Formats: sequence, C-alpha cells, structure tokens
Amino acid sequence: MSHQSDTIHLPCGQMRGQGLGSQGTHTRPLEMMLHLRQTIEKHIMQLVTRHQQQDLVLGDQRHHQATGEQEALLGNLVSQLVSLLRSGATGGLGLQPSYPALDVRGDVGGGQEAQSSGQPDQPVHQLKDPEATFVSQHLSNRGIEISASYQANLQDFRIYQADKYHEDTNPLGFINLGISENKLCLDLMTERLSQSDMNVTEDVLLQYSDWSGQPFLWEEVARFLTYYCKVPAQLDPENVVVLNGCSSIFSTLAMVLCDPGEALLSPPPFYGGFVFSSQLYSKVELILVHLDSESTDANPHPFKLTVDKLEQALLEATLTGKKVRGLVLINPQNPLGDVYCRDSLKEYLEFAKRYNLHVIMDEIYMLSVFDESIMFHSILSMESLPDPNRTHVIWGTSKDFGISGFRFGVLYTHNKEVASAVSSFGYLHGVSGIIQYKLCRLLQDREWIDGVYLPTYRSRLQRAHRYITRKLKALGIPFLNHGSGLYVWINLKVYLDPCTFEEELLLCPRFLDNKLILSRGKTYMCKEPGWFRTVFADRPSG
Amino acid sequence: MSTLPQKESRAPATCPGSASTQDLDSNYGDGLERECSRKPDRKVSEFCGVGDPTAMLSSDSSYLSSRGGVIKWFWDSAEEGYRTYHTDEYDEDKNPSGIINLGTSENKLCFDLLSSRLSQSDMLRVEPALLQYPDWRGHRFLREEVARFLSFYCKSPTPLKPENVVVLNGCASLFSALATVLCEVGEAFLIPAPYYGAITQHVYLYGNVRLVCVYLDSEVTGLDTRPFQLTVERLEMALQRANSEGVKVKGLILINPHNPLGDIYSPGELRNYLEFAKRHELHVMVDEVYMLSVFEKSAAYCSVLSLEGLPDPQRTHVMWATSKDFGMSGLRFGTLYTENRDVATAVASLCRYHGLSGLVQYQMAQLLRDRDWINQVYLPENHARLKAAHTYVAGELQALGIPFLSRGAGFFIWVDLRKPEPLPPSQFLPEATFKEEMLLWRRFLDNKVLLSCGKTFECKEPGWFRLVFSDKAHRLCLGMRRVRQVLGGKSQVAEEPHSCQTREPRSQHR
Repeated sequence: MSHQSDTIHLPCGQMRGQGLGSQGTHTRPLEMMLHLRQTIEKHIMQLVTRHQQQDLVLGDQRHHQATGEQEALLGNLVSQLVSLLRSGATGGLGLQPSYPALDVRGDVGGGQEAQSSGQPDQPVHQLKDPEATFVSQHLSNRGIEISASYQANLQDFRIYQADKYHEDTNPLGFINLGISENKLCLDLMTERLSQSDMNVTEDVLLQYSDWSGQPFLWEEVARFLTYYCKVPAQLDPENVVVLNGCSSIFSTLAMVLCDPGEALLSPPPFYGGFVFSSQLYSKVELILVHLDSESTDANPHPFKLTVDKLEQALLEATLTGKKVRGLVLINPQNPLGDVYCRDSLKEYLEFAKRYNLHVIMDEIYMLSVFDESIMFHSILSMESLPDPNRTHVIWGTSKDFGISGFRFGVLYTHNKEVASAVSSFGYLHGVSGIIQYKLCRLLQDREWIDGVYLPTYRSRLQRAHRYITRKLKALGIPFLNHGSGLYVWINLKVYLDPCTFEEELLLCPRFLDNKLILSRGKTYMCKEPGWFRTVFADRPSG
Repeated sequence: MSTLPQKESRAPATCPGSASTQDLDSNYGDGLERECSRKPDRKVSEFCGVGDPTAMLSSDSSYLSSRGGVIKWFWDSAEEGYRTYHTDEYDEDKNPSGIINLGTSENKLCFDLLSSRLSQSDMLRVEPALLQYPDWRGHRFLREEVARFLSFYCKSPTPLKPENVVVLNGCASLFSALATVLCEVGEAFLIPAPYYGAITQHVYLYGNVRLVCVYLDSEVTGLDTRPFQLTVERLEMALQRANSEGVKVKGLILINPHNPLGDIYSPGELRNYLEFAKRHELHVMVDEVYMLSVFEKSAAYCSVLSLEGLPDPQRTHVMWATSKDFGMSGLRFGTLYTENRDVATAVASLCRYHGLSGLVQYQMAQLLRDRDWINQVYLPENHARLKAAHTYVAGELQALGIPFLSRGAGFFIWVDLRKPEPLPPSQFLPEATFKEEMLLWRRFLDNKVLLSCGKTFECKEPGWFRLVFSDKAHRLCLGMRRVRQVLGGKSQVAEEPHSCQTREPRSQHR
C-alpha cells in the first residue's frame, strides 16, 4: 500500500545536501515551493488515476485507505511548507519542520485496525531519511520497491483472487483471460491426482531431502524430457534441478549467472514475469531486442527474431557500458504463440556462443502445441548444442499440465557449476516431498499422458482457440494466428486514439468494468501500443 | 544491489567483517540441516581478512557471476558432509555399518502417527482451486486455520488474525524474505550465538544481509543464572560494537525454544529483549519453530504471541513451521505472523518464489484443524517419545561423565566435550581450538556417527557439540555406542549397552 516511493521527492533531503552558504534567504523556500507544487501535482494526478482504477477494483475500504494515505501525504507537504515559510528558512533549518500527520502515515501504511493503541507511545521518529519514513517506517528501500513492483505487477491478479468468477458461488466475478492458466483439463487432472497411487506418505517424503530435489524425481524428469523433447541420447538425472516453480528457476539463474546491474537480452513481447523476476532479487537488467510487428517483404513474419537484431541489441548495450551475460528465449513463445524453427534456434545459439552468452531457454509450453502441422523443437533435441555449458533449459508442469498451484519447475543444464550454484537456493525454493512423489507418478504415467491427457488437452485447446479466433474475426480484431500456447496476441490499436500506452492503459479499466482481465502489451515490453494477450484456455461455459 | 562482502573489518566478533569471513569459513553443519562437513584441509583461511573473497572465488568459473561463485561455495561446502553421510547412510538391513545421523535436527520418532494421519481420506482432496495459482500469501482457508492454531497454542490474549498470516515453503524462505524486505544490502541482524547456523545462509543468499553475533559464555558469572544466558547487557554491547564499526543493525533474531541450547526464555526475559529492541527501533524475529516440542512438563513455554501488550508490535514478527513440531521437514510449510501489514505485504510479494503447493496447503489446514488428534494422540505421544529418547541419551552421557545442557525442549542436547571427566582429556580436545574440534568431529564421522560441532553454531568456545536424540531406539543406541567408542571406548557401558527403551513398538523400526 505504500509504494509511492518513486514519486515522492521531498525537497528537504535534497536541500540538505546542498551548500546553503551562497543562497539567499528566500531561494530555498521558493525552490521548495516549486518542488512542492510539482509533487502535489503529481500526487493529484496519481489520485485521479487511482480513483479511476481503484474505484473499479478495490473495495470501498481499500479505496478510502488509499485516498486517506494520499491526503495525509498532501497534508504533510502543505504543513511542511507552511512551517518552512514561517521559520524564515534560514540556513540552520535542516530538517526541523513538523510532521503532524506522520504517524497517520504509519498507521495507514500499517493498516492498523487493532493496533492503534500501540501507536501513541511510540517515540517521535527521527527523520533521518524522510523519503523512507514517508513510505514505510519499517521496510528497507528494496522492501518498498519489492512491494511496489509486486502491487503494480500483480494488482489485477489480486483483484481477480478476491473476486473470482464461479459458476455457482460468484457468477458476477472476474473472468480471467489475463493470467496464463490452463483450465481446460482440471477435470482430468483432478481425477488422475485422486487415484490411490498418488497418495503415498512415506517417511522419506516427510524428511529433508536433497535440496535440488528427490533423486527419484530427477530420474523421472530426465526420462520424461528425453522422451518428450526427443533427445538423441538419454538425459542425465544429475543435470536436473527441481525447485518450486519456473519463476524460482529463472530468479536463481539470474542470481548465479549475472552480477547486479548486468544484463540479459530478450526479444519482446515476452512474458512479463521475467522483468519482475529479474528486478526483484537479482537486480539484473533485461535488454530489449525489439522486433517489427509489421510483415514486409523483407520480413514476412511479424515479430521475427533475427541474428541481426540480436547483434544490434548486443552492440548497443555494450556501447552503453552494459555487461550482457546471456539471452533469454521462450519457446513456444509467450505471448506470441509461435514456435522457433530448428534453423533459427541453431542460429540464436551460435550467436550466443560467439559472444560467450548463456542461453536460458524457457520451454514451459512445450506440450501445449495444438496445431498438428506445427513442429516444436526443443533445444534438447539438437544433435549437438553449440555451447552446452552455457545452455540452460527451463520446464515445469504449470502450463502443460495446468497445475500452476503445484509449484514445480525444472532446470536442465549440462553445467555442473550452474546446477550446484542454483541448488544452493534449494531450500529457499523447496518442493514438498509429497508433491515430488505425486509429480513423479504423474510424469511416469506415459500411458495416461499419451493416451488420455494430451489428446484431450490438445483437442480442447484447438476448440477453444477456434472459438476465440472466430469471435475475433467476427469483431474484426486483428490477431496473430499461431498454433501453440494458451493465448492469442491481438491488436486493438484501432481502439486507441491516439495510439499511446496511456490509451492502452485506459482500455484496461474498461475491460475490468466488464469483469474481464486481459494483459496489455506494455506488460510484455512490446514497443508499440495496442497489443493485448488474451488467454483462451478456459472452459467455454465461463 | 547485492554486492558481495567487501571490506572486512577486523573485529573478531562481528559481522560483516567476521560474518562474511565466517560465512565462508564456518559451515552449515546444522546449516543445511545436514552435517558439518568441511574437510579440515579446506583452505578456508584464505577467506579470512581478505578484502574481497569473491574475486578469488569467481576466478574458479568462467560461467558463473562473482556472486554465483560465492553462492556455489555454500553448496559445495554443504555438499561435502552431505555426500559423506548420504553415500554411506545407515540402514538396518542394507547397510548396518553405515553412518548414523545424530546431527540433523529432525524428529524421526512419529512418522507412524503422521503417516497414518496424512493418509486418512480427509487429506486426499484434490480440487481445481488447489491446482491453480493461489493467493501468494497462502490460501485463505489455511491462513484462517493458522491464525486459530497459533491463537490456541501460543495462548494469545486475543484471537490472531488471518490477515496477519503469510504462508511460505518453510522458515528458511521466511528468514530470506524478511532479511530482504527489512534490510538494505550489507545491513545486519543481531543474533545470540550459538545459534542455528543455517540462518547465516538464509539471510545472505538473496538478501546479502549479515549476522552480528551476540556471543554468550558457558560460564555462569555475575548476573547470569545459567550457561549461555542472554542478557540485555550483552545485547547492548553487541549492538554498540556493531554501531562503532559502522554496521547498521536492523533487527534481532531470537530462537525460542532455542536451537541448539534447548533453552526456553521466560516471559520476563522475553519482555526485556523486546524492550531492548524497541529502545533501538530494531525488528525482532522470533523463531518459534520448536514451540510444541517442549517435552518436559515443568518447562513452561511462553510464546511471544502470548504477551499482553507487545512493546513494539509493528516490529515483532513471529515464525513457525511444521518441520519440527510435526516432524515434517520435507513438507516445506512455514508461516509468518506479523501485525505489520507493510511487512506482511512485502514478504507476500516474494511468495511467488517461495510458495507451496495447494494440495499441501489443504493438508496442512486439515492437520492444524484436527485438535482432537493433536491434543489427544499426537502431542502426548510425541512428547513421551521425545522424553524417553532424551532420558536415554542423557543417561548415557551422565554415565560417561560428560557435562551437557538440556532443558526439556527441542530434539537435541548441547554437549560439552571440552574436558570430559573422568576420561583423559587427551582423548578429546588436546587444545581448545576449532581445529581440534573439527578433528574430533571427523573422528566421530570416521566412527560412523554424524554430530554437529559447535563451530557450525558460531559457538565461540571450541568443544561443544549438538547431539540429536529424536531418532528411533535402535539407531540411537547404535549411534551412542559409536559416540562412546570415540570418547574412550573402554567405558563399561560400551560392553553392555544401556537398554534403549523408547516407547515405540519394535515393528515400527524401519
């Protein structure tokens, strides 16, 4: 709730740092006044947008809280100004203005319902760092950033969580076409997971295990990937690391491959979670390799990634002093729904090898290719990887098996050092032994997967895709028609006037109004406004 | 920005100076909840007093980043002991001469009860909501159950609120998340030492936060009424020292019941520590992961949540998990209780990386809800078994004339092997050094019994060991026999082992 850190700039801290000797008595208040005006304007703007968005999305109470917070802040700023002016703003002023509403801020931020009794005895806080104090008196700066980034990124998700559509209990709730969740086969999964072979509670599952996963699961994962990625030689269970989800895998890879401030290349539009994950813990920058959305003679495929573009992005980044450590690719692509062909993959990998770049290949949608004419190529299927020690593959069951709530992700890497370093994080990202057992059973059951699950899943995907593309065509909405993933990348730029990201943003509340969540292109770092991702992997009854 | 430990201040007692060197130097025997494992010949000394250990580490690899090199170091050093144990794990039938693990703090006494409870039909629910993305704070039904559970077992004066609960995959994650959201890079928490050494790694890996040790003495002097007693004076001193070295301390970590001491803080002591923290505006993280493992009826445990009027509720954060009290370290369930919504939200912001499966969340809610089973079956039986195992090991140690501390809580006994009488001291630590301690630890391992040495808990006096007793009778007896062999071999008990009567039925042995 207190995430305006980046927008609050009290003048005091800044002023304090400046030598005051040469300044006239009135320069400071004047500057301050100007600064304050700017700040206030900014906040009013923010209030307005908040009203616009939050009226729709937050309960009244939350809304009032947010408003109260803003008001308290403005109150502070004004009283600060007043006291400054009164005091004559002499050199020794430093940071003495009174902050009558300060504790209110703390209260609001802390969301104290019951705790207010504890507040009055709190000592008046020494305002060593006014910015931090205003934002939260308890969190570190990065804690504030993390909260803010989370709220900005996952606000829609939280709204959805709080008011989820349900046929019976909440028919007016939100339909979520924004989050890429596969809800097409929950019936199959529920049934399979309810079978008696899944329910084993052995001692060994209740005890600490190896932090990079239970050996029985590594083996099963190696067999599974060997088979479904069509790997020429059997994969080695020793190269498998199991953590609680692909975000965790990506986050740990970013930690061990890059130092803070270093960078990874990635072609947008790409899964926004990467941005979040790279900021959150690892402080790694994503360098955008921008692609053209227009198809031309020279570029027959929209958003086509080429080595030229990679070279160019790398060069530009290097020229600005960025140290680029790797390339992140998603295949099948999210949100484009396209797959890379074998030759392209080879070229990207060769490019990476030329510059000693790691390649993080996210193949989390590998079994969600529903168009039979499309051939998906896992990089694990290549006869020889150009640079196996710098090639790292991510997969998980969240999408392909529609069990995002399981929290399970896999890293496959030939590089033992990387595997060990990632495993250091194992116990911050551990998976329950009981769950590891269930996953093992699931991945083992080739008969069910090939005979029941995959055929049903793919035909349902096809049907849902057909349904949504037909609707889009009927509405005259352009979209990219590809045969994989759980989503369609659609272009709504004709609805934007002017065609800006501001307008794109404004379109979102209109969907929210109608209890529909789409994700906008900006989230995927798309450079041109107007693109949206809509997820279709939901049951048609919804 | 997480930069790695840089300028090492030379003060022996505190971090980041010593913490960062100690990070790299001492290991996480307990740490990974696997045993202290470093080979004595490892060139750890290179890390001491060096400006930037990462430079050296990173040169090892052309693939990893500098911090990746340090991170990998944690793994490698843990790996060694782990490997030793796991390549030669004791098994009654298959490997009777394998290593007995009295080092990892796990409760292995109640798997029969837990397995049967977790296999009951109410646990086996699979429904779509459990298979999808959860609220990252944890499913509401679980947070409600946790609030009720903690209200009851922590005897909180007013009912605790589900909004203040965040659920994650274990307390390790919780330490990591709290360090990240409460501290900047390079800032620190105070922690009374000896302490559960893994915390060093938890707060360092992502958070790049250090621990400032509040060193405690085994000797009882002056105001202290018991060995290793934590006093406010010691806290003040440690804080001052950290401040004078320019280390910014943001909080205090308390473990209660204590690991490895088995101590329980009295309500008065707790309040003093909390008041100290309040005076200095420090957060207090109270790790109560052993709160239901107090097996001695006379030991009155008091959760910080039971206090009327916490001195600084906005800076008091309580941690609990099922790993110890319910003997399910492999289940990965931990929880935070804090009245500070900013902190709860910030920790929840990280939960996307530290979430646990919906199915497990459901099982945990069922388990915590089943008060009849917990109160009438599980806890009485668990306590009786813990007590029987403790009595046996304590008896063995007494027979050997080895002093130890143990106050009726936890799974371990803190054993003093500095000068065991009446055996000749030369058998143990000829010199009071950590090198000798390590050699002794190695002798135990060579004799196929794994213990954790004091160094892994940052104990400043060489010669202390933690011995875990919460294991099945046959393994425990064999483990103790091997301990005796190392500690003198000739004692009469070695010939005729003490009867190992714990209450578990023979048939339960695996």
